[in-house]
Amino acid sequence: MSTETLPALDEGLADVRPTARAPYRRLLGGATIALFAVLIPMALLWAPMDAKQGNPQRIFYIHVPAAWIGFLAFFVVFVGSIGVLRTGKRRWDDIASSSAEIGTIFTTAVLITGPLWGRPVWGVYWTWDPRLTSYLLLWLIYVSYLVLRGYVPEPSRRARYSAVLGIVGFLDVPIVYLSTRWWRSEHPTQFVFERGGLPTAMLITLLIGIATFTVFYAYLMTVRVRTGRMQEALDEEVFA
Amino acid sequence: MNGWGYVVAAYVGSALLYGTYLTWLLRKERRLERSTGDLQPR
Repeated sequence: MSTETLPALDEGLADVRPTARAPYRRLLGGATIALFAVLIPMALLWAPMDAKQGNPQRIFYIHVPAAWIGFLAFFVVFVGSIGVLRTGKRRWDDIASSSAEIGTIFTTAVLITGPLWGRPVWGVYWTWDPRLTSYLLLWLIYVSYLVLRGYVPEPSRRARYSAVLGIVGFLDVPIVYLSTRWWRSEHPTQFVFERGGLPTAMLITLLIGIATFTVFYAYLMTVRVRTGRMQEALDEEVFA
Repeated sequence: MNGWGYVVAAYVGSALLYGTYLTWLLRKERRLERSTGDLQPR
């Protein structure tokens, strides 16, 4: 398929001309710092020690929020990818590619913190458990997404190819989430919000963690989307 | 490594990952701001 058969991806440079810094960006940055300043002492000092797992359970307060952001980021990739294929607007590709990059960072953090939690609790850093395996596959899918973007120089083609991968790759997210219910898994199941689940102090700390990571993700998106648009504008200037 | 060792490794490792990415992103943004200085923001 030649490039000419693909519909135009955007309205040209006007669509990608760099935006000013978002007015709420400073607020998001300040809120991220403030929330981390609250979260860390709560997670390490205030939250009670788990009776069964001991102190390693405190990794939970950064592991679960990072996993949540991984899912959220890849949902945004999914929505952005649909936007690319439906409208051909480059701004959807900006959002999807930015969210994929940030999501990959957070899933990498999950793959670092998980084994460090698993070793003292399970006795091993890694096991080919359904949850862990499907999560590693999710990480590989989005690394592939980023690699694919690096190998396709033509913007229209790059956006469409990666959009297809962004949509197909998202199918792994519900598999990861439900893997502990569908198959026998050593990974903890979704007991957090169930009656008799997490003690109140642990639940509050977890919710602060989720809020912290969500605001951090929003801040990173404002920076990454703007950076991507500036890079595209520069590329168009250079190759025009 | 005792229990706290794993906790410290996880928190420090995460901080290094996020911090490195954020630093790289902000430096890239600053470099692009200089390069695209002749383009007017929308």
